[in-house]
Order: sequence, then structure tokens, then C-alpha cells
Amino acid sequence: MRIRPRFFIGVGLIAAAIGYLIFSAIRTTSEYYLTVPEVAARQTELGGQALRVAGRVKAGNIDWDPNSLTLKFEIVPIPDVDNGAVKPVVASDPVSFHVICAGEPKPDMFAPGRDVIVEGKLGADGTIAATQVMTSCPSKYKPKQSQ
Amino acid sequence: MPQLGNLALAIALILAVYSIVANIYGARRNSPDFVVSARHALWAMCAMVTIAMLVLWSALLRSDFSLEYVASYSSTTLPTVYKITSLWGGQQGSLMFWTWLLSIFTSIAAFQNRRRNPEIAPYALAVLAGVAIFFLMMLNFVTRPFDLLATVPAEGSDLNPLLQNYWMAIHPPSLYTGYVSATVPFAFGAAALITGKLDDGWIRSTRRWAIFSWFFLTLGNMFGARWAYEVLGWGGYWAWDPVENAAFMPWLVMTAYLHSVMIQERKDMLKVWNLSLIGLAFGLTLFGTFITRSGVISSVHSFTQSGLGPYFLSFLITVTLGYSALLIFRSKQLRSPAEFESYLSREAAFLFNNLMLVGIAFAVFWGTIFPVLSEAVRGVKITVGPPFFNRVNGPLALGLVFLMGVGPLIAWRRTTTSNLVRSFAAPVVIGVTTGIVARAEGLRIWYVLTAFSLAAFVMGTVLVEFRRGVNARRHMVSEPRAKALVNLVAKNNRRYGGYIIHVGVIVAFVGIVGSSFFRTEVKKSVHAGESFSIGSYTLRFQGLEQSDTPHLESATALVEVLRPDGREITVMTPAKLFFKRPQQPATKVAIRSTPLSDLYVVLAGIGDDGQTATFEVFLTPLVFWLWAGGLMMVLGTVVVMWPNVRERAAIATALSRQSTGARELADLGAPGGD
Repeated sequence: MRIRPRFFIGVGLIAAAIGYLIFSAIRTTSEYYLTVPEVAARQTELGGQALRVAGRVKAGNIDWDPNSLTLKFEIVPIPDVDNGAVKPVVASDPVSFHVICAGEPKPDMFAPGRDVIVEGKLGADGTIAATQVMTSCPSKYKPKQSQ
Repeated sequence: MPQLGNLALAIALILAVYSIVANIYGARRNSPDFVVSARHALWAMCAMVTIAMLVLWSALLRSDFSLEYVASYSSTTLPTVYKITSLWGGQQGSLMFWTWLLSIFTSIAAFQNRRRNPEIAPYALAVLAGVAIFFLMMLNFVTRPFDLLATVPAEGSDLNPLLQNYWMAIHPPSLYTGYVSATVPFAFGAAALITGKLDDGWIRSTRRWAIFSWFFLTLGNMFGARWAYEVLGWGGYWAWDPVENAAFMPWLVMTAYLHSVMIQERKDMLKVWNLSLIGLAFGLTLFGTFITRSGVISSVHSFTQSGLGPYFLSFLITVTLGYSALLIFRSKQLRSPAEFESYLSREAAFLFNNLMLVGIAFAVFWGTIFPVLSEAVRGVKITVGPPFFNRVNGPLALGLVFLMGVGPLIAWRRTTTSNLVRSFAAPVVIGVTTGIVARAEGLRIWYVLTAFSLAAFVMGTVLVEFRRGVNARRHMVSEPRAKALVNLVAKNNRRYGGYIIHVGVIVAFVGIVGSSFFRTEVKKSVHAGESFSIGSYTLRFQGLEQSDTPHLESATALVEVLRPDGREITVMTPAKLFFKRPQQPATKVAIRSTPLSDLYVVLAGIGDDGQTATFEVFLTPLVFWLWAGGLMMVLGTVVVMWPNVRERAAIATALSRQSTGARELADLGAPGGD
């Protein structure tokens, strides 16, 4: 197939437009996707930024008010499951963040010990004001409970 | 019994390997006996995989918890229909289901080509057998469906409640059918490259396969959206989740392919492009499985890592490299003498439509893998959510809709100004009028105004086409208008079926635009007897009803829906369910659907006193038309696939004289245009 030069202009313009759309949209819509320890490490620079945090719901301290649809809980790191690899033990304090999510129904799968993704902003006091709490769908593609 | 399953899978693998060798040897040595025996081996392979499937189904139905798979995804109290569907509820089972479909489609392709395509068919079947080998290796060595448990549990851990609804019975099979059947046109494309038989024989032989695949990809995406809408309870139907994107990308590329092959059939152009598209479509089906199975891009569907990721990635890379090498190797022979002549031609419209479709697919791909890329490049995972996809794809969708109106009406090669005016005057008037009326009615969002105007424009072009065809028929044979319309579609089913699909796409597009821009939401906590309102509806909470069965507990809210004049329309019953094993709550949404808008009521929470309830209510305009459009697309595809006597005869002639005069016969194959 040969394409006349003037067709390259049309094809090029469309390709450039698509490229520009992608480029500009990424700049304006991206948000950090971090683990709890990563948030802890970058706490100062993350203030007020849109982010997603993956973590585990800490047992206890869960407060759900069905009238105001306010969910309060603490999020802790998801423990590493390494296949027998020896990792150096770091004596760091277990980090955790308070999460407040108002105005959303509690997800059905939400429970202590479940892994969740919290979408929201980190406040100056270290509380994450969440707009959304997503739970992992625990079964469909999970191989088995054999860890 | 499980040993029988393992044995059947092992034999199937051996047969697949034999079939590759025999096919290639038979084709190279020109020894039909080997090709015949290779074909028989494929049929035997299909029989073996079928046996393995039956063994697993039987184990599920008998609740044989000595099998790890059965113990993980079923239970004695699971209703029978979900015992059957839990075959594809887990990884091993769904991989086997995939392999089973592949072996069936391979067998059908082998049967169809027992006398046809003697040069490329053996290679195409060898490629299909090669793909089957990959999946059979996974089943035999990596993720084995018949593994036994050391200790047999008394009860299985049950299927995830989210999967316990009838969508589970139809959504995954549709999607898998769409995915897997794309392998057949890919295999024939690869065979054309291997043998150097680069005319459009491979396209013609697999045209129905491509449409079949597109049909099921459409169904699969629609069912998935509907499932999300009815079950997940957030009021929407599409979240640009990686798993959704994985199903959407092959659909986009298949759509592009189905359009661009028309140019090759008519004009002998875009050969490289078509071969690339079908390779891309196949690669994306593998990529989709890679995404869903590996958890590499933590989707809400799955955080867990499974051992399959690296294997799929390796296979994907092997296929991509091998196929690209073939394309480069044959690049000289793929040059086409024809060329684009004018922007104002159908070829150009199709070329730009292809660019748009592939552009959308690329944007979706980029957005999907962006977290992985950013982590590799910058060391931080950065995600882009739905706003990214909407911002990029919104404008591209407008361009695509515009081209949907232009493409079918514009002439091949070049168009004169008077032609343009004659074809497009009426549709443009319809489109512009729609825009003006909508603005006068108070619509101010420029995107929606443009979208609705373009939608009306496309509808106008389809009307013009139908009118033109009916008039032409009545000119030649005098028959009543309705009969002329039926005959027109029946005699040119490929073309007019395509228009019906276009109408469906436009209707669905209007539904998507309406539901995306005008959805309203109310959250409210109320006591029994209190009411609140959304839009023009008033909702009165009457109270909660509790129930308890061995399988689940439930609390159902009775919500009276009232019109502004106080008349009751209906009582809606959203509910909270609590499954007993595994112990897990679930939400049952209540939906009242009308062509104008859907009322969608979620029981978000129940107060401790049992007398208060919190509701989340969505009023979503026009979403009805998304499903209606999907239905029209399905109907249109059935019309396209309907056997057409004239076309069959033309293809038979073309195939019997395959190498000679392909061009003139090509035109016979597509009566009435495309």
C-alpha cells in the first residue's frame, strides 16, 4: 500500500491529536498509587494530593454510622508474602493511617483484615479523607488459601 | 475419575503436538494422508478436552471435594446451576473452558477446510494446534484442574456471592467465545504469511469467524456492563477497570478489522494493516487473560498474584515477535499497487475510522498499563482513573460517530461535490436541526449538543440509504414498500445488517452520553414512614422485611415510588443479603427502568433499631438506550451472518479458482457494495 504524501498529513494530524489527548489527560488525571509504608515515607510531600493507597483494614477501631454513611477505620501495611526468601528484618514501627470516608455506602466485602484500596487525600494530621473505599474481590481469580 | 481427566488432558497435548508435525510435514511434502491424519488428531484432541470437561463438571455436580478445584469453588448447598457455572468461576476451570472452546473451533475450522484452501489450511490448523499446545501445557503442568487435596473437607468454600447470579452463566462464556474465536482468523492470517499466499483468500475464508468473534465480544462487553449495573450497586455500568478494558480492546480492534478488510476485498489495499490488526486482536485476547490472571495491574478484581502471569507474558512476546518477523519477511510481497486517491472517498473514511478505533484502543491500553510503566520508569505507581479514559475517548468517539455517517454514503475512489450534496444534504439538515432544537430546549453542554447532532446525522444517513435502496427496488420490480424493504435487507444482508448495527451503536452512544452527563444522586437516611424525593419522584420508605433461609439471611426494604400527583407507581424492594458460607454480605439493587430514565435504589445501610434505613438513589436518564442499542447491534449481526445463497455461490466459485482472477470474483462476493 502506498499512501500519497498529502495523506500522511491527515494521518499524522489524527495521530498527533490522539497523542496530545493522551498526554494532556495523563497530566491532569493521574494520581499516586502507593502502599501504606510508601505513604508514610513520603508523608510531607503528599499533603493534599490525590492518591490511592493499598492497605489492610486493621481489626478494631472500625466505626460505621449507617445514618450519615460515615466509615472510619485504620489502614495498615499489607504484610509481604515472600516465597521463602529471607528478608532483612527492619525494626520499624508499624505504620497506620486513619481513614474517614463519608457519604458512601460501606462496601459489602469490607471487613477487618481485608485488603482495600482507599482513594482520597492525605490531610496534614495524617488522616486520609477518602472519597472511595474499594475492596478486593477475594475469590474469583485467587488460586487458593494456601499461603 | 480425576485420573481420567488428567489422562485426557495429557493425550490431548500429545495429539496437538502430533497435529502440528503432521500438518506441516503433509503440506510441505504434498502428502494429503498426513494432512488428513492431522485433522483427525485435532478432532480426537477436541474429544479428549471434552472428556476432561465432563469429568470436572461431574465432580462439581457430585460435590466431590477431594478435588481442590471443587472444594474451592463449590459447596453442597450451592444451587445446581451455579455448580455448573462454577466450572469457569476459578482459574483452572476457566482456562480449561477456554481450551475446550479452542479445540471445538479448531475442529470446526478443520472440518470446513477439509477440501478448501489446500495450501494455507494445514498451516492455519498447525497454528491453531500451537495455541492449543500452550493452553494444554498450562493445564497439564502449571495450573492443574484435577489436583487432589490431601485431606478431603466435609464442605466446600462456596462460590463468591457476586458470581451467584445468572450473568455468571452468560457473561464469561460469551466473552470467552469472542476471545477464542478470534484465534481462527489470526491462524489463517499467519498461515497466509507463512505460505506467501497473500491474496484475500484468508480473509474470505474467515470472514464469518471474525464476525462471529465480534458478535460474542459485543455480547460479552454488554453482559459485563449489565452485570456491573445490576449487581455492583454503584449506579454505573462501566468503571474502566483493567478487566473491563481487557475485554473492550479486542472489540475495538476487531471492529477496525471488520471495516478495513472491506477495503482489501474491494481495492486490494491495506494488506499489511489487515494482517497487523488481526495479529493485534489475537495478541490483545492473550493480553486480556494476562491482565486478569496475573494481577499485575492491581485491579479491583484481583490483588493476588498467580503463577500464570510469566507464562502468558512469554507466550504473548513469542507470538508478537514471531508474527512481526513474518510480516517483515513478507513485506515486499505485501506491497499493493493501488493507492488512496482522495480524502473524499470511502477508502479514506474507512482509513480514518480505523485510526480512530485503533487510537481509542491505544489510549485504553496506555491508561491500563500506565501504573506498570510509571513504576518501571519513575519508581512510583501512578494510576489514571475513569477521568483519563473519558477525557481521551470522549472526543475520539465523536470523530468516530461522524465517520460512521460519512463512510457508508461516500463513493469509492473519489466523490464529486454534487454527489456529496445529494447524499448528505438531508442528514446534515437533520443533524443541525436536532442540535438547534436541543439548544432551544435548554441544553448547554457543548459535548452533548455535538453528540446528539452527530447521532441524528448518522441516523439520517442510514435513513437515506434505506430509502434509496427501497426506491431502487420498487423501480425495478414493483412491490409494496414494506416488502421491498424486507427483500432489500434479505438480498443484501451484509450491507443492510451493517446499517442496523450502526443504528444500534448510535442508540447505545446516545444512552452512554445521556447517562454519563445527567445522572443525579441522592443519599438519605430515613425512618419507616418517611419519604424523600429525587427528580420528580417521591420515595416513601415503608419498612423492612427480614427473612432467613439455610443459604442466606436478608433484609428487604419496601420503598413506595410516587409520582408528583401523589399516585403510586410501584413498590421497589432493594435488599441487603447475608450469605452464610462464606459469611459475606451482598447488596441487591432495585431498578425501575423506563426509556426516559432509570430509578436505581440501593439499600446502603440499616440502623441498629431495624426501623431506619439509608438509601442511595440514582436517577440515570437514557441508560435504557444503551441496552436497547446493544440488542440492535446483536440483531444486526444476526442479519449479517445469515446465510446468503448468492454470496455462498460466489465464494464457492472464488475458492475453486482461487489463484486466478481473484479480483473480478471478489466483486461478485459482495453484491451491492460492501
